Amino acid sequence: MRIIYLLLLVLLANGSGYAQQAGPKTVTGDFRHLPFGQFVHELEIQTDYRFYYDAAQLDTFRVSVQVREQPVATVLERAFRNTPFHFAFGHERWVFITTAPAPDLQLPRAFFRPVGSPPDALAATPEATAPAAAPGRSRYVSAAEYQVHEIGLGGGSGPVTLAGHIKELKSGEPVVGATIFSESPSVGTSTDQFGFYSLTLPAGRYTLKVRSVGSKNTQRQVILKGSGRLEIEVEEDITTLKEVVIEGEKDKNVSGMQMGLEKLDIKTMRQVPTAFGETDILRVVLTLPGVKSVGEGSTGLNVRGGNTDQNLILFNDMTIYNPSHLFGFFSAFNPDILQGVELYKSAIPAKYGGRLSSVLDISSREGNKKKFSGAGGIGPLTSRLTLEGPIIKDKSSFLIGGRASYSDWLLRRLSNKAFQRSSAAFSDLSAHLSHEINEKNTVYATGYLSTDRFRLASDTTYQYLNKTASLKWRHNFNNQLYGVLTGAYTHYDYDITSEQNPVNASRLQYAINQTSGRADFSYFPNPKHSLDFGVSTLLYQVQPGALRPLGEESLIRPNVLAREQALESALYLSDRIDLTQRLSVSLGLRYSLYHALGPRTVYEYAPGESRTESTILDTVRYAAGKVLATYHGPEYRVSARYSLSDNASVKFSYNRTRQYISQLTNTASVSPADTWKLSDANIRPQVGDQVSVGYYRNFKSNTIETSVETYYKSLRDFVDYKSGAVLLLNPHIETDIVNARGKAYGVELMVKKLTGKLNGWISYTYSRALVRINAGTPADQINGGTYYPSNFDKPHDVTLIGNYRFSRRFSTSLNFTYSTGRPITLPIAKYYAGNSLRVFYSDRNAYRVPDYLRADFALNIEGNHKVKKLAHSSWTLGVYNLTGRQNPYSIYFKSENGQIKGYKLSIFGRPIPTLTYNFKF
Amino acid sequence: MKMSLVFHRLSWLGVLVLAWLAGSCVEPYAPAIVSAPPSYLVVDGFLNARGSTTIRLSRTTAVASKTAPPAETKAKLFIEQENGPRYPLAETAAGTYVSATLTFDAARRYRLLIATQRGQDYASDFVAVKLSVPVDEVSWKPETDGVRVFVSTHDDTRASQYYRWEYEQTWEIRPPYQPLIEYDNALNELRDIRVRYPLSCWVSDQSNRILISKTTPLAKDVVSNFRVQTLSPDSPLLAVRYSILVRQHVLTQAEYGYWELLRRNTESIGTLFDPQPAQVVGNISNLRNPDDLALGFVGAHSTTEQRLFIAQPELPRGWGRRSGYESCVPPDTVYVTPPKTELADVPAKLKSSFGNPGFLPIDRVYSDMGVVIAYIAKAKDCVDCRERGSAVRPSFW
Repeated sequence: MRIIYLLLLVLLANGSGYAQQAGPKTVTGDFRHLPFGQFVHELEIQTDYRFYYDAAQLDTFRVSVQVREQPVATVLERAFRNTPFHFAFGHERWVFITTAPAPDLQLPRAFFRPVGSPPDALAATPEATAPAAAPGRSRYVSAAEYQVHEIGLGGGSGPVTLAGHIKELKSGEPVVGATIFSESPSVGTSTDQFGFYSLTLPAGRYTLKVRSVGSKNTQRQVILKGSGRLEIEVEEDITTLKEVVIEGEKDKNVSGMQMGLEKLDIKTMRQVPTAFGETDILRVVLTLPGVKSVGEGSTGLNVRGGNTDQNLILFNDMTIYNPSHLFGFFSAFNPDILQGVELYKSAIPAKYGGRLSSVLDISSREGNKKKFSGAGGIGPLTSRLTLEGPIIKDKSSFLIGGRASYSDWLLRRLSNKAFQRSSAAFSDLSAHLSHEINEKNTVYATGYLSTDRFRLASDTTYQYLNKTASLKWRHNFNNQLYGVLTGAYTHYDYDITSEQNPVNASRLQYAINQTSGRADFSYFPNPKHSLDFGVSTLLYQVQPGALRPLGEESLIRPNVLAREQALESALYLSDRIDLTQRLSVSLGLRYSLYHALGPRTVYEYAPGESRTESTILDTVRYAAGKVLATYHGPEYRVSARYSLSDNASVKFSYNRTRQYISQLTNTASVSPADTWKLSDANIRPQVGDQVSVGYYRNFKSNTIETSVETYYKSLRDFVDYKSGAVLLLNPHIETDIVNARGKAYGVELMVKKLTGKLNGWISYTYSRALVRINAGTPADQINGGTYYPSNFDKPHDVTLIGNYRFSRRFSTSLNFTYSTGRPITLPIAKYYAGNSLRVFYSDRNAYRVPDYLRADFALNIEGNHKVKKLAHSSWTLGVYNLTGRQNPYSIYFKSENGQIKGYKLSIFGRPIPTLTYNFKF
Repeated sequence: MKMSLVFHRLSWLGVLVLAWLAGSCVEPYAPAIVSAPPSYLVVDGFLNARGSTTIRLSRTTAVASKTAPPAETKAKLFIEQENGPRYPLAETAAGTYVSATLTFDAARRYRLLIATQRGQDYASDFVAVKLSVPVDEVSWKPETDGVRVFVSTHDDTRASQYYRWEYEQTWEIRPPYQPLIEYDNALNELRDIRVRYPLSCWVSDQSNRILISKTTPLAKDVVSNFRVQTLSPDSPLLAVRYSILVRQHVLTQAEYGYWELLRRNTESIGTLFDPQPAQVVGNISNLRNPDDLALGFVGAHSTTEQRLFIAQPELPRGWGRRSGYESCVPPDTVYVTPPKTELADVPAKLKSSFGNPGFLPIDRVYSDMGVVIAYIAKAKDCVDCRERGSAVRPSFW
């Protein structure tokens, strides 16, 4: 008979707190009517025996015995005299108490722990009470849940800090965004990107609950006597692997400080049907309220009325300048390596700066630290493969993912000659290494490379490349303070070659390098404050454009614009203060300082006149390293939350942002030939202010989240262009640029259901984004200097992302999206000039294209759910644009054979079925 | 709707991936906008520094309007030299104003003055005179997409730099029929033809695209093989003999900018990465009311030109085979004997067939017995080449 004594037991010393006591000790005491549990506890304190018994059998048993310096055996013999209980000693000072005669005690040790779990992974001691393990749970985790972890050495009074990591049991990867909280008192926190948490509580005993998306709920019992560490491992919740969850710190919506923050995890993103069956991070971000783009072929994000260049796109803390492939039809991130994405639309943390409208923080997973595994997928346009595994088990891991298109191969199979002459190829590669040097120090390295090369039915080849790397060192000074030192390098370039006519054959190149270093610290001095502070500095080096002849015959005169460089530095401090149980505020200040550096030649223009080549007054030469322009200013980051009740709160935020680099683009959509321009003596930095207020309420025990957010934003000095501006290879670009002012306001309503068979979200947004250009002379003004709608001003927007799970293996997703058509400049009159009819255009953006409406559908089929098998696979069958509506991408008018004809271009003008196969091993 | 991208089955690693990359489609689109379109003055033409100036005045009209934009008549126009004399233009046709032959002083600046019938005064900005360098060569070359016509020029002094070209193309056409008979309307009968239809005609038209190029990015002021025209291998223009006259204008930077903007606005908008349209106005303003726009750019320059001929035999084998009269073959047959037509019905048949001047008899069809049993005939467009062009041989031909 197997032993069903369930056990738990007695204590040794806390590994870090107590020294292991050598040899058996004697017991002294006067125990009167003591519950058996307390009796065992007392014995465990006085000796180093561990007791294993069935609490159900012994819970009514009370011990009355008086002993003085007696061995344990004697004490037990006296205690159990005339009772049905027997005891037996095993190895390692284990004591088993049973009702049956003493059992055979030569069991393998591993019986009490699942194979593979590290011995003493928990540096804490377990105590009494042990119910049966929940079905389907790892015995290891179950055991850990019922152990009582004694933390610290202290006397057990005053606030103490508990810190540690929450990691996934199997892979050892940190769990980001997991919440850990005590219900009474209600104190909680969530893990950061390293899976690190720090919780400050009064000394005492607590049950800490741990919740995170994709993991089983768990808890830990702790007795806090002093500050200490507790490493927590959680199990992946395999059965709900494909459940749509748009993030889930369940009451975060109401209780969190953040507003205007959208979090998506990769599981959610996989469910959203896309045009080519590729999981596309940017495309999913575009379904969020407050995020728009000019058209469906573009991944340029317009967040709350901001331009596409006003988003700080970070991939593991590296700035990505072009996050898309193939004109913006795909985003340039391999979904298999991603952990998730956070989009800050307002209340941008003081840590981030340099862009006006939003921060899109994309993070990769850490590799599996325990075993080698992989994942991949085969879709209609690309295939991808990801491998990961430990380098040193439990210490370091690698994660490497690649993706490549085979669209070149497809294009050559098309009947259309023009397509056969085209080529389009792209690929991306990411690698991530992490190494835990010791408990206090961890280093991370990330590299990323994405390339694009395409030639579309012409003689012009476009190529562009993102190349970035970062190195991060994280050091825990103590439980209350940790710091992260990051060095990052970002390179982006493009190269356009044209070689049909040997006389004009040329190559146009652009490049930007960004080298940055930063130190960030988080400090948790007491339960009421959590501080973040740090410094950063960033060196930009730009090659604004170089046109060079190609081949011997080319007559192209080399035109190489002078390099530009600038240094952007910042200091920040923010403090989150819990003033009362209900009111929390976060006060942050970032101060940024920008120097445009020589060598440069700077033109000075006649003041008050439209800048043209003829109004140049003087030319000033600055030597290398000389500062030619300095801009600086504070950036305020303030937010507050007031809880109206347990499930309702109001939040407020105000932030100012400054941006010292602008993207020069004159086209409706972001184009691969767009360049980035640094602020200098003639181009001022952009400044934005946003005020935002929201009401949040959760229903049905936090399973339904609702929110209303409203914002007003004003933008100053962002760049717009004079009619017919020349943006490329223009040595005096300031003559074609005008400073624009913008204002944007809106209301975003959202209802999310996080759990259950039916889940997803629905949002409605009313928003306006307006621009005014009235600087300079009347000739420079647009629409007479009045406010006009920006290119992406789409007032009404309704989005539904829904998922219904029929069973563990089948689920369906439905997207629905409606928005007002985007503004357009229409021809209002025609006339005859140059032997052809010409059109005269309206005021800029005075009309709108027809409304946009689209529904998508997907069916996800999982392979069987055996936890252990060679490879887990899934199929996704999707139909993009289910109704086949021909949504206009572009409306344009052309003079053809002397006639003016209007055309509507739809990119995805019919239902597009796709099938994708994914696997994981 | 055009399916641009369709692909079928592909097999990859044993997995059958069936997908359609469904394509973009382009449809005509007509927005219901602008009930009261503006009526701005439009000035089209340039001040010819070496010859007679022709200026056309018109008004803008609604985009949807079916009629041509209205001409602006009875205006008073003058060419004015800065601090100098004025030269009048006279209206030769409705809205077309022509000056005497003039020779401008290349060192002075000129402008155009317009006083409309409605009492509004307009003037272009004073502009410098640009004299055109000669056209070096107009050449052609067969390429995969057809015959390409190129222009080349250069300016050793680097003074030109900004170029615009227009062309006038002329081609010979030969109809497939040469009628031997004609219909006598009065007698309702067919007789031998008295005045033969022409064997050949010549058709002309003008460029309607904006052809511009600048040499500022080049080390030398050289335009090498700028493509002005492409004719597909089966273009009827190449059926017999084709001629193109390329006229070159040298522009100022400002005038070049105007044409470039106009071209961008109306010829290259619609691809994903073309710039947004902008209002293109020009260098003409209302002297009293600045809100009243006038469209157009009046520059002052001379022109140079060169002509090229391409005869069908010079083309690659198989090119220039389409005459443009393919739809005219075979001819129709009008039967005038039983069983197709009873004899009693012949007069009515002749009347109904040939009473319409758009349908011409070509020849008689005889039976073995030598009796006329039918006439072959065809639409006038297939027979009389003057329907498509002029029978007058151009002087340069």
